[in-house]
Amino acid sequence: LGGLLGQDHSVLLSRPGAKAMTQSRFHSPYHSLRPTRRALLWTVLGMCTLGNRPVRGESTPPFRILVHPDNPANSVSKDFATDVFLKRTTRWSDGETARPVDQRADTGVRRMFSESVLRRSVSAVKRYWQQRIFSGRDLPPPELDGDEAVVGYVLKHRGAIGYVSVGAKIDRAKAVSVQ
Amino acid sequence: VDYQARRVLRRRSWLSAVACGVSLTALPAVARADKADAEAFASPIEVHAFVSQGFIKTTDNNYLADSKRGSFEFSEVGINFSKQLTERMRVGMQLFTHDLGPLGNYRTRFDWFYLDYRFRDWFGLRAGRTKLPFGLYNESSDIDAARVPVLLPQSVYPVSNREFLLALTGGEAYGMVPLGSAGSLEYRLYGGTVFYDTADATATGTNIKVPYIFGARLMWQTPIEGLQLGGSAQKLRIDAEAVLPEAQIAQLKMAGQLPADFSGPIKLQLPALLSVASIEYTAHNLLLASEYARWRVALDSPLAQYTIPEMSSERFYLMAAYHVTSWFTPGLYYAATFSNADDRKGQYPPAGAPAGTPPLGWGAYQHDLALTLRYDLNQFWLLKLEGHYMHGTAGLSRALNDNQQLSSLTRDWGVFLVKTTAYF
Repeated sequence: LGGLLGQDHSVLLSRPGAKAMTQSRFHSPYHSLRPTRRALLWTVLGMCTLGNRPVRGESTPPFRILVHPDNPANSVSKDFATDVFLKRTTRWSDGETARPVDQRADTGVRRMFSESVLRRSVSAVKRYWQQRIFSGRDLPPPELDGDEAVVGYVLKHRGAIGYVSVGAKIDRAKAVSVQ
Repeated sequence: VDYQARRVLRRRSWLSAVACGVSLTALPAVARADKADAEAFASPIEVHAFVSQGFIKTTDNNYLADSKRGSFEFSEVGINFSKQLTERMRVGMQLFTHDLGPLGNYRTRFDWFYLDYRFRDWFGLRAGRTKLPFGLYNESSDIDAARVPVLLPQSVYPVSNREFLLALTGGEAYGMVPLGSAGSLEYRLYGGTVFYDTADATATGTNIKVPYIFGARLMWQTPIEGLQLGGSAQKLRIDAEAVLPEAQIAQLKMAGQLPADFSGPIKLQLPALLSVASIEYTAHNLLLASEYARWRVALDSPLAQYTIPEMSSERFYLMAAYHVTSWFTPGLYYAATFSNADDRKGQYPPAGAPAGTPPLGWGAYQHDLALTLRYDLNQFWLLKLEGHYMHGTAGLSRALNDNQQLSSLTRDWGVFLVKTTAYF
């Protein structure tokens, strides 16, 4: 409950019944834990916070997600996009085969898309695909050079989904929002 | 290794090669059924490969190789070819060769080859030689680029068991079942056999066969993105023959442990049930993983001295890695192995041992604390440095240590590894 942004304990302050929680804190399960277990709990929570830290500028993503103009979708959820790009899901809701397309791993737009939508670093995604490739499980989406190539791919395949930089010329491709 | 075993192996390799060739030849015909689809989904043959070279040095005890002096017998090469034949059908194969101390010796083999047909996201079938889905990382345990540590926690993924635990020849059903707001469930069910390579120098039996192996893996992708929980179990039996010296057979006959007309090798059977519970959390730059395993193994034979009652070993690890920059990822894990879960401190002699055998001591357990530094030099080349502090000797091979009892080896010791891998 400090004065700096980020130190406020929003859970305690905003939830109904927060006062009761504060008053009963000396009887909470947390305080009945042994110091070593408390330390372990804080370590795990700290690691999870570290892993979940938001990407700067997440509110206005510096990329646009594109689909084929005939694709009826106007928005995609992060979960669906993640499943498609990790090939856990292979179809759109209308039955069309989903064809994700990536940009090269060393590009800024790939890094931003990966962090913001897939919620994993590009390296983590690459490790995921190394595991799949060399164990014979699956193959990653094609990696194309630049926005223009991605737009071309999306226009060519009805089930395609890709991403480009905000300023990229998208021709007839359809930009969809991410929820 | 006797000539007969080599001949059987050679025949099996040829059979595998012929089966693979026939499959690949026949597949275009099968694919024609889906011709329109194939045309719409035409894709080139994907080729991926890796080559690794490592160095291993221990302060005491030989580990995996002749490591006390330092050993470069630590290398892997693999190349695979995959092709998406139609929207639903895929075919692939990987050739693999490796050397790790007495294991591998650069014998090239088909690591995997398969035909995969995915009917729906929730149901697909694979046939051929496929990697065993056991725990989080068994399928990718050969692939250095796919992980942070040089050695995966050896408590759950021992490289010495690679031949038994890595791949089966048979079939598999798999799928991903959506659970709505509860996430999704990935299942893998498999059955078949394992062709064991008796050319490995550490093999103590001959004519080794695995008449069956079957198992399952369930992984729950929880609603928390990046968090998955799961469990794996597999049952198998290993059959082998032990050839005893004539003098020993005569001695056993005199003692009445073998019938007077006995001739030939002793038949051994090792039924095993392996299970592991897994949890992994991957988010942004962080990886946390932990697994807990129980392996129940017995040894059955007509001879008391080659019979061990069912025993359960306990294995677990906790692992963390953090991607600090695009080129640097440190990792840390703690792993523990207890060869008998009922005697973690090694206070008793090994199960089934004759009277007077000394207790196992620190040969009954192994605690392993490892720190890895992974440097991704570029997109296709990486370098790893790794140090281990070991307490106990349960994971060591007696054959590599002059057949000494594990309890007579050095209890506290260290391992240092360097490994570099190029891949695409």
